[in-house]
Amino acid sequence: MSDLKNPISPANSQPAADADPDGRIAEVVSQFLDLQARGETPEIGPFCRHYPDIEIPLRNILETCLKIDQAFEEETSSISFPETDEDERLFHSNPFPGYKLLRRLGAGGMGRVYLAEDERLRRPVAIKVLLPAFAANPSLRGRFLEEARALAKLNHPAIASIFSLGETTETPYFVMEYVEGLPLNETARALPLQQKLHLFYQVLEGIAFLHDHHLVHRDLKPANILVNPQLAPKILDFGLAKPLDDSLRRLTQPGQVMGTLDYFSPEQARAETVDPSSDIFSLGVILYELLTGRLPFAHSDFQRQIESLAHEDPEWPRRINPDLPRGIQDICLKALEKNPSARYRIARDMAEDLARFLSGEFVLAMPSVYSRHLSGKIERHMRELESWNQEEIITRTELNSFRRRYDRLIDREDAWIMEMRQLTVSQVTLYLGGWLMTIGAVLLVLFNFQQLNRHVAVLTVAAASGLVLGLGLQQWHKNQRRMGIAFLLTFTLLFFIGLLVAFNEYQWLSYWTQGRRDLEFLLSQLDFEKTTNVQLWWALLALLPVCYALRRYTKASVFSLELTFMSLLLAGATLLRMGMLDWISKDQGRPFLYMIPVAVVYFAAGYILERLTLASDSRYLYGHAVFVMYMALSGIALFHEPYAQWLKAVFPWTRGQVEYLFIVNAVIYWGLQFLCDHAASIQLLAVAKAFRFVIAGHILIPLWGLGITATERWNKHAALTALKFEARLFEVLLPLAAALFIYYSIARQMKNYLASGMIFLAVGVIRLEEDWLKGHAALPIALIISGLLLMLIVASRASLLKLFLKYRRR
Amino acid sequence: MTTATESLEVVERAKRGDQEAFFWLYRKHQSRLAVFIRYQMSETLRRRYEIDDVLQELFLRAFRDLPRFEYQSAGSFLRWLFQIARNTLHDLARFEDRQKQQAEHEAPLHMASSQYDVAPAYSQTPSRILFQRERVSQLLKDLDALAEADREIILLAKVEGLTIDEMGQRLGKSKAQISLSLHRALKRLRSANEAQI
Repeated sequence: MSDLKNPISPANSQPAADADPDGRIAEVVSQFLDLQARGETPEIGPFCRHYPDIEIPLRNILETCLKIDQAFEEETSSISFPETDEDERLFHSNPFPGYKLLRRLGAGGMGRVYLAEDERLRRPVAIKVLLPAFAANPSLRGRFLEEARALAKLNHPAIASIFSLGETTETPYFVMEYVEGLPLNETARALPLQQKLHLFYQVLEGIAFLHDHHLVHRDLKPANILVNPQLAPKILDFGLAKPLDDSLRRLTQPGQVMGTLDYFSPEQARAETVDPSSDIFSLGVILYELLTGRLPFAHSDFQRQIESLAHEDPEWPRRINPDLPRGIQDICLKALEKNPSARYRIARDMAEDLARFLSGEFVLAMPSVYSRHLSGKIERHMRELESWNQEEIITRTELNSFRRRYDRLIDREDAWIMEMRQLTVSQVTLYLGGWLMTIGAVLLVLFNFQQLNRHVAVLTVAAASGLVLGLGLQQWHKNQRRMGIAFLLTFTLLFFIGLLVAFNEYQWLSYWTQGRRDLEFLLSQLDFEKTTNVQLWWALLALLPVCYALRRYTKASVFSLELTFMSLLLAGATLLRMGMLDWISKDQGRPFLYMIPVAVVYFAAGYILERLTLASDSRYLYGHAVFVMYMALSGIALFHEPYAQWLKAVFPWTRGQVEYLFIVNAVIYWGLQFLCDHAASIQLLAVAKAFRFVIAGHILIPLWGLGITATERWNKHAALTALKFEARLFEVLLPLAAALFIYYSIARQMKNYLASGMIFLAVGVIRLEEDWLKGHAALPIALIISGLLLMLIVASRASLLKLFLKYRRR
Repeated sequence: MTTATESLEVVERAKRGDQEAFFWLYRKHQSRLAVFIRYQMSETLRRRYEIDDVLQELFLRAFRDLPRFEYQSAGSFLRWLFQIARNTLHDLARFEDRQKQQAEHEAPLHMASSQYDVAPAYSQTPSRILFQRERVSQLLKDLDALAEADREIILLAKVEGLTIDEMGQRLGKSKAQISLSLHRALKRLRSANEAQI
């Protein structure tokens, strides 16, 4: 205010202004306004009296200015700073008996926190008060008290504890531990990674404790986690931020949404109801900040931030800090999943995974972001590949093989071990464990143990399978899908074997086939001591719905595989019950004939599933169908007498030789692959390829065999020219057929045709040299020359082409 | 106007995360901002947005940027708020231009924040209620009667609370010129006021 005494400093006065009264008034008005702008409050009356020559016009102008100010002040003066008054009043009246208020520590959405001293114990405490405006609402008031009581039950080193709860005439309050320390992110900034993670682990333990008591923090952020100089974190401000009903949510929302948006989960930002997984997201953001020093969804623009929070994947921590181990990135990204159910369910799960990481084990987190990231890129690449295929840069076969490989790359989280892209120690160990249990249980089925009580045997397997089922379901619920699959798969095997053990030990279901050795395959053929076919049949039948239920529940295709395989066994057992052994003794080939309908059923089932867009399930059915088809056709050719008789009757020159039957099979396979090839399905294309694969072997090997037998026959009866002709025919046919396959390999891109063609070409040539061309040096020379010619033709194709064209023109 | 010490203390409290301190600060300056926005909004903007829309966006931005605000002197908080107000209006105008270019006039546009249903706590006192206050409505009438240039310089001095130096820099004129134009503008405001009465 010293300026008032000498309002116009000499430096500022301009002589010209004196001549012009307007200019002078303007100058003084400016002085006055500048004083105001600097935050001072000069009064008009005394100020104007310093300028007697222009006092009246000056006062007029300044009063006009004052009016403007007053217009705004009318509005602002009505707004007092209620907190200050409230604080003042509180400090004055000191309504908390036994505590002396010292100062205010902060204010949250619904409450305020003061520092106070416990007068008896002489220690600092924090007192949290519900804002009087909220205290008037009975439900909020009740909630405040309820939360305080819930917190009071919690006794955890990482959670600030509550000392007492009280109520003033206006509002409830509670007294809690006063925590001195810095926010988590500030403390952690200078620490090495290991220490940061240990700190974070303690926080996780605290939140896990909270979640165990069915409480959700809802407002986790570094500012709410203070770390003392001993590096022990304390979590503050629980569950008080969120009012119950919507009208109140609106009231507090600006503060809530604005203040801590950086650590909010997407569902929180949408103001949806939150559960522990929302805390997990906030913890993920905090971990991300600890790891990278950045916030995952920070944006200068508020709207962009909300969008980014809802839709964008965070930059991977390792891309910001390449020194970070992959495991910790996995944990962080799993916590930051957009879909709450894909995150850790509760903080305990996250703490366990972090503990695994800290002890150098493999973490279980499998963030979906990798496969999502890959699938985005893959989709683009697949489109490119398809266009390359259209432009004939790559072949259809290559395109399909890329597709299959890429499908592999997008590793499903619930994939079982054979479908996994990477084998990890934990996974292999898990499956080894499951397998050992299975083998152990199988031993109980296979052998008699005199010293083992039968109840004990049954109970052991039952307990093991029950335990494995329970653990499997638990892991599945915890989103540890891979682990869950391993356990559930083991369960199905143990369940099946357990049934067999029980059937054996208690002699259930054995009477059906008692004395009917002809219906028993296991007892008669294999040296199995106990299990009858009927027992096996019923155990298999009981297993199928279990597999089906698990497939429905987990949607994991491995249970379809099991279902398919077990139903195949069931089909086998059914055939046995129908007396297959009897047929075999009469006609060895007959059972194979019955396999054909089984294969057809599998094909049909696979096709239906594929139509239902369950490609991964249909794949297994097709696989089994192809396998059964091979078995059936080969078995029929080898053992089914009527087949050979039929061939002999229709084509007597074949003499019913089995090799011809295989060639017929090759023709059948060719027909099947032709059919499959023309079905518009990727799965069936693979099936077609599987059928195609065996055709070369089915033709070349029989030709070779036929050649050998024909030569032998002719050697026995050297005089018969018909035999000689036949033998020679096969000697020529084999290399010719081999050459055909060599060239056919181009059309179908079948490398095995090329390889087997080459081999059998050599075999054929050797056989020719052995017999027909015996002693003729012409063959090797001719081969060498023709080989060289072939290579030269290819090398000089252009000139040959020219000659050819010239010839055509003439 | 408030004293420097009070502002500093409250600003510091707001920066520390005391939401109530921020609300209070904001509410204190809200009427100045409302008047400022009223005159700074272009015709197109005014057709699209309520003053309260702009105020709300301004509020959100201020709250977000608060940690970056540095207290330098008395009134720097107010100046900071006005800077945000300018940016907000500028961004909105640019947004409008883009919309116009895309010829998507039919679609009713909402403010960035309003679609998330985040309403600042002051929404019980929208600018309309403010402008209905006798003194404010009188001031607005007087200002409306002025020429554009006069109004602008008065807004700078009395609503934004700039010093003469700052106004000189803003308008690219000398201190003497500014003083004189301001004086004349105030004189005309006074006569406009007297004429109305």
